Amino acid sequence: MNPNDLPPELSREATAEHFLAAIREASRGPLAAVVESIDRTGYYPRAELQQLGALGAMSAHLDAPAGRGDFGLAIRAMAEASQVCGATGFMMWCQSVLGLYMQASGNPALAGEALMALARGEALGGTAMSNPMKSYAQIETLLLKAKPVEGGYSVSGSLPWVSNLGPDHACGALAGVVDAEGKVVREVMFLLRCNAPGVELPECPSFSAMEGTGTYALRLKDHFIGAGEIMADPAKPFIGRIRSAFVMLQCGMAVGVTQGAIDSIWAVEDQLGHVNQYLDDRPAALQAELDALTARVMKLAETPFNPSVEFFIDVLDARAHGAELSLRAAQSALLHQGARGYLMSSAVQRRVRESHFVAIVTPAIKHLRSEIARLSAEVLPA
Amino acid sequence: MSSLTAVAAAAAAASAAQAPYQTYICEACGYVYDEAVGDPDGGLAPGTRFADIPDDWACPLCGVTKADFTAYAAPSLAVLRARAPASAVAAARGGPAGVLIVGAGRAGWQTAEALRAMDAELPITLVTTCAGDVYDKPLLSVAMARSLNPSALVKESGQNAAARLSVRLLAHTQAVRICSDTRTLRTTRGNLRYDQLVLAHGARAALPANLPPELCWRVNHLAAYQKLRAALGQVATDGPRDVLIVGAGLIGSELANDLALGGHRITLLDAQPEPLARWQGEQAGAQLLQAWKDLSIRFVGGVQVTCLEKLGRQFRVTSSDGQRFVADQVIAAAGLVTPSRLAQSAALAWDQGIAVDAATMRTSVERIHALGDCITVNGQASRYIEPIARQARAIAAAICGAASTPYEPRAATVRVKTTSHPMTLH
Repeated sequence: MNPNDLPPELSREATAEHFLAAIREASRGPLAAVVESIDRTGYYPRAELQQLGALGAMSAHLDAPAGRGDFGLAIRAMAEASQVCGATGFMMWCQSVLGLYMQASGNPALAGEALMALARGEALGGTAMSNPMKSYAQIETLLLKAKPVEGGYSVSGSLPWVSNLGPDHACGALAGVVDAEGKVVREVMFLLRCNAPGVELPECPSFSAMEGTGTYALRLKDHFIGAGEIMADPAKPFIGRIRSAFVMLQCGMAVGVTQGAIDSIWAVEDQLGHVNQYLDDRPAALQAELDALTARVMKLAETPFNPSVEFFIDVLDARAHGAELSLRAAQSALLHQGARGYLMSSAVQRRVRESHFVAIVTPAIKHLRSEIARLSAEVLPA
Repeated sequence: MSSLTAVAAAAAAASAAQAPYQTYICEACGYVYDEAVGDPDGGLAPGTRFADIPDDWACPLCGVTKADFTAYAAPSLAVLRARAPASAVAAARGGPAGVLIVGAGRAGWQTAEALRAMDAELPITLVTTCAGDVYDKPLLSVAMARSLNPSALVKESGQNAAARLSVRLLAHTQAVRICSDTRTLRTTRGNLRYDQLVLAHGARAALPANLPPELCWRVNHLAAYQKLRAALGQVATDGPRDVLIVGAGLIGSELANDLALGGHRITLLDAQPEPLARWQGEQAGAQLLQAWKDLSIRFVGGVQVTCLEKLGRQFRVTSSDGQRFVADQVIAAAGLVTPSRLAQSAALAWDQGIAVDAATMRTSVERIHALGDCITVNGQASRYIEPIARQARAIAAAICGAASTPYEPRAATVRVKTTSHPMTLH
């Protein structure tokens, strides 16, 4: 049965387990069939993403009617797909946070039918917030600049490497609002439509494990944004509200990639267990650590909008633990599988690359630790 | 163009051609454009000067334009290596798990000393958010009276103490979470395994909700004290400062006393009618006010601070009864609170602090001990110097399996270091 044929009410009302079972089926069926082309030839899995979207896999965290208001479920859905294809899990995160921005913006032009189309997977998009997030963590300077003009802003500048984009896609973006002297006085966050005037999407060189993720540079020249696009102005308080949710959702990628790795260790246990027993990270220990981490993430997911710094530090640390664990699990899986896992057609070596992506995509392990250090430091007068 | 200008232009072009090639870095991705190499795939022949690159040229790695490039000269490997020691910390990984101590105050270092005295071989790692330097915290209350330079308060650098005790020191490292199931401490410089964990991270200065942290000092460690002293400047050259201290307990009163002796003008506020109100029965406050009558200390009792704001280069404090005080620096001395993050992450029993067994300093979780300002025994914190060495010896004995006198909480004798009128209170 094509889930697209199901009335949305029915899929919403399905229990969480039925929901996850449907995501699992889509992941292990149609998605698994194209994983190799996503990785090897850069196939962008539009149909597969849209199927997952139609099942509600990228909107479970959104409030009704767009979703189920359940961040834990959204993370578990992302983990199901990531177990099969880390690149797709990453695109699900891109799409999920775009929905988060649109809903949290409260802008009727974004939070209404546009959001519903995104929630159903009819519309696709991502997030160009890597640079702004690093800018808030005082790691980078803002690359997009917005000049106030009649009825809105004129935005110019370039961003590297924004994912889940295409000619008919959109993304959440942020620009520094400049005064007459060119000084950034505040920030504005907005929906950027890739097909709008003044927007170009130059191709990027090939990316390891992420070639199929629709990743482009974004080049803006005098691109107009008005009331219909504004997500937050000023943007800083808005970012403060959603930052924990933004980072927390990424844990789905880490959990899924790690679980995929553990499964592939068990897959060779019968034949290779007699030698694999000498390896460091054995599957039962990895699974226990993953289960503890998953439980921790599920607990955090109960209060995704907790505004406290202590909570945010917890989220950052859980995300860091997820990245570290997926690195260890993916490497261990390759050591367990040996040559068969080293074939270019093997998911095991692909997962080694995916796990490194989990560890370096913003916020990377180094960013997470640096941000925890910054937020933990006692604030004193300058 | 006159022939003369043409000659000049040709000469300029020739000299430009001879100028050494420069390099430019992409601020988005770190790609380095080398004029000598150019970007042949992007249509820039070798030797293309940065100035001559068209504005619509794209970074070959990330696609941003020329506007996001800046001049950049990569330092040599020798320079990079020379730069490294300043920021280097001991390697976080490897080696046997051993004992892991969190905190490099007196409690942390005393534990390391006590352990090392009992076992020369035991691997000991010390993790601390500060530099790890060894100093006597009580001196922060009397540094001016004793004319001690704030930079001279360090008795031994953390590095030297670590070398002397053969301790692996991870300075400027935040402990984030204890995973007691895998016996791992998660930190901002990687994860550390432990056989035994000792929490000696102390307490932090409490801050009333209406005092913004970026506007007022709290003096609970050397680094904060040194920054405060730097902000106050030298009385001889910069003149005296108006300093407002919120809280006239032990620390607030000692600081007021010392900074006044150092020549500053102090306003000391407290919700109670007199300073050291906890020892009212011993008339501590009355004695102190009497001793202070010739010092520049103005005590204002019975006031609640409702607001602290920046006023140009000064600060203004408003109290609930409408009084306003303007000062050059504001210090909050509102007591201490124990951070609960690590304890919570390991689900340690908590009773106003990390609850420990009185005799052994053991927490409720296997292989985790705690001592110093972060613990309570029967719900009582005892944030004084005297018990720390005894606590450290009890922990070291427990960890090394040595016989030892169990730790016994004793009623603390408090020596008030208000040098104009030192007191011993009970």
